[in-house]
Amino acid sequence: MNNDLFGFEINIWLDAAARMGLITGVMTVVVMGLIYIERKIIARFQMRLGPTRTGPMGLMQSLADALKLVGKEDLRPAGADPWVFELAVYFVFVPVFMMFVAIPFALNWEVRVLELGLFYVVAVSSINIVGLVMAGWASDNRYAMIGGLRAAAQAISYEIPLVLALLAVAMVAGSLNLTEIVAGQGRVPLIVWQPLAFAIFYIAMLAEMGRTPFDIAVGESETAGGPHIEYSGIRWSMFFLAEYAALFLLCLIASAVFLGGWAWPLGEDLGRGWQFALTAIKTGLLIFSVFWVRVTMPRLRIDQLMSFSWKVLLPLSFVQILVNGLVLVYDWPDLLLLATGGAGVVLLFVVIDRGVRRPRPRPAPLAAAESEAVA
Amino acid sequence: MTTELAREHEYETQDIMLNMGPQHPSTHGVFRMVLTIDGEVVRDVVPYVGYLHRGAEKLCETMDYRQGIGFMDRTEYLAAFNAELSYVQAVEQVAGLEVPDRAQWIRMILCELNRLSSHFMFTGAFGTDVGVFGTAFTFSFRERENVQDLFEEVTGDRMMYAYFRPGGLAWEVTDNFEQRVHEVLASSRQGISDMDGLLSDNEIFLARTKNIGIISAEEAIEWGMSGPSLRASGVPMDIRKDEPYLKYGEVDFDVVTGETGDVFDRFRCRLDEMRQSVRIIEQCLQRLEPGPILPDRMPRMLRVPPGEAYVRTEAPRGEYGVYLVSEGGNRPYRLKIRSACLSNLQALRDMVIGNYIADAVIILGSIDIVLGEVDR
Amino acid sequence: MTNDGANGDGGDTEADEAAEREAALARTIWADVDRALSGINASPEPGALDLIVTIPKAEVVRGLRVLKDDEQLNFDYLRNLTAIDHQADGITVVYHLYSTAAKHNVTIKAVLPNGDLAVDTATTVWKAANWLERETAEMFGVRFNGHPDPRALLLPEDMTDTFPLRKDHPLAEIEALQGEGMAYAVEEE
Repeated sequence: MNNDLFGFEINIWLDAAARMGLITGVMTVVVMGLIYIERKIIARFQMRLGPTRTGPMGLMQSLADALKLVGKEDLRPAGADPWVFELAVYFVFVPVFMMFVAIPFALNWEVRVLELGLFYVVAVSSINIVGLVMAGWASDNRYAMIGGLRAAAQAISYEIPLVLALLAVAMVAGSLNLTEIVAGQGRVPLIVWQPLAFAIFYIAMLAEMGRTPFDIAVGESETAGGPHIEYSGIRWSMFFLAEYAALFLLCLIASAVFLGGWAWPLGEDLGRGWQFALTAIKTGLLIFSVFWVRVTMPRLRIDQLMSFSWKVLLPLSFVQILVNGLVLVYDWPDLLLLATGGAGVVLLFVVIDRGVRRPRPRPAPLAAAESEAVA
Repeated sequence: MTTELAREHEYETQDIMLNMGPQHPSTHGVFRMVLTIDGEVVRDVVPYVGYLHRGAEKLCETMDYRQGIGFMDRTEYLAAFNAELSYVQAVEQVAGLEVPDRAQWIRMILCELNRLSSHFMFTGAFGTDVGVFGTAFTFSFRERENVQDLFEEVTGDRMMYAYFRPGGLAWEVTDNFEQRVHEVLASSRQGISDMDGLLSDNEIFLARTKNIGIISAEEAIEWGMSGPSLRASGVPMDIRKDEPYLKYGEVDFDVVTGETGDVFDRFRCRLDEMRQSVRIIEQCLQRLEPGPILPDRMPRMLRVPPGEAYVRTEAPRGEYGVYLVSEGGNRPYRLKIRSACLSNLQALRDMVIGNYIADAVIILGSIDIVLGEVDR
Repeated sequence: MTNDGANGDGGDTEADEAAEREAALARTIWADVDRALSGINASPEPGALDLIVTIPKAEVVRGLRVLKDDEQLNFDYLRNLTAIDHQADGITVVYHLYSTAAKHNVTIKAVLPNGDLAVDTATTVWKAANWLERETAEMFGVRFNGHPDPRALLLPEDMTDTFPLRKDHPLAEIEALQGEGMAYAVEEE
């Protein structure tokens, strides 16, 4: 355990509290920044200006929004289940922040080095589904209920390829400790050896966050906000905070696990400033790509979304693990990983392309309901 | 969730009612449909309209002929020129007014431009229905705004133009009209290909829209659908071609038809129709010559002899008909507005049942309703 | 413009008028319609745009069915369905038909006397008549016998005693009901 965060030894509990406090405070600012940046970026994509009036270049917009949201009345529908309704927010909010414990921002700059860091992150990240289902169920609103159930179905389905993709990387990296995984990528980032795993992780990550094209739970044009529909003011903003924190966090994990985090390409020798900068750049690029996807992609339908996970991503991730196992056990050359992974990515795109262009008969109502049963 | 599964495991399942609208982001106004859903699958849908009923027909009976023009704008507010056109043509038909050539060409240009702006509204709103986060909307609205600016320059209003008059036009167009139309066409052409690039080839868009909400040609005719929604089913029915009004007989354009009649075809038809509109406007501009815009002797107060006419024109959403019955005097005895959207909307139930909730939204979007026209 | 003949103003003799009418009818598809409607008591009238055929209300749906099924006429498309309130002369139900294949139009009218404002539904011929009949029913108080879904379409469901598009339904009084001082001066017709 490294306790040199502040440059001197302090009580371990105080230290932990200080670290958590720091994370929570920083994250809130980061999320506000992210919302501002997203609005600006999306505005650029859409030939708009985005926020301009609040502060210089609209920089204070997020702060103003936050203040407004805090000031709004905290409504609860008369028919809602009060406890579940109010607790749901925390089930979404807390796990996301718990995930930050294991994330390495730079060498020796994490809340705690966990030997099973990757495992921990994956385990904690799936708790927030409970929160969404609670919110959907307790709101006494059918849109919320449909949204909550959709969120649950989607998250459970995409959790598996997500975990398997990370597992494949962990096999190659030979560790579940995030710090070690990052440190091991000093020369070559793992995306080179595991392009397919990265592709699967990226897609599953979008689904986990409920971002376009997988935003069926909250999609405005269908469920009009889904589980969030009845929330207002501070509770609603906490959902939002959790959503953006999850975005930041999953992109951080992707940059750490696949893109070499702070280690690649400059190695461990450079100062903390460079390491932070590297992490920030890689994470930033990923976040930007998520925004990019958001503004250009339509939304998938629930059956397409489910079958894509179960019929495409899941088999491919199993194949990836199998290949990794064979390569590792028989000590085949690493290039084979690159070749198979690359072939896998090509296959993935071919499947997507084929899948949508194949003429499909109109689903008979009953048959359609059958595939729904998986959900 | 299915009944079979339920029986097997002795679950008790229940269909639930989902009330969509009149306040819902994707009902395009104040439309309401009550969906009966089994899980995600729509078992039944009951549409409710009438939230925007303002009694335009009754009001027109109490106003003189010129005042009625304004009400037409307020029915079909996204393609007000086309609505006005049906009305003034009905009045001209019964009153026996001849419209000067220049007025006819300008009417054609404005109506086709209005078709462009209306279809841009459709592509934008439809993109949002399918789930593109506002990008299709802003891209469309950039183009729509250009057209709208031109309309504002000509008529002084952005939506409720009240510019056509029985017999011709209210006033001459602006001096730089032709140049401005050329500018708008150039940007619209770009906008159409932008929408093509953004949506038509997107894999998810294709997966969402292909083979969804199919309606066969026979069924579409049976339900009285018209416009692009009917042509998408492969029926080449276009009033501009079949019963040419204005100068449509003298210009060259194709009737765009689809093949399967699914949501994608309805989108595709509208997009291609916009290209045809551009073609028509270009030809109109070549033929536009100086001249009078009203008949020589127009009375101050228009009195129409007894008679009746059902005048239909091809509005962006289909057949916009005005059935005018005159018993003499300066106001209609009976004025019936045949709404394209109302008839198209009837077929919604057939298209939606058996599809998913998300499909119901895009099927409704693909019919492209304007509630002002449905409810009148 | 061929909106002459119908009103017959001026000093024409009756024989001239009749000849003119015949000539006008000859330019329309009346010959075909007459053949198809044999056995049904139909009277033609050349309209401004389309041929207008008046059929007694008892036979109108049969006539519509015949017009739809006739191979040559093939009126497969119901453009419009509405009614006109002729006050003392009853209410006329108007059907505008179109053939998508042959591309011709006809207007069918049926006069309903004030005592018996009912006619058979045309939904058995075209589904398109469904909402149009619902609207006509609520606006004019015409009953369409056998309509599959006789609910109000545009008006509130409980508004069953008022028929806004009838001529005896005053506009100004309704306006006056909406608030003090908002009343319009009743215009003299």
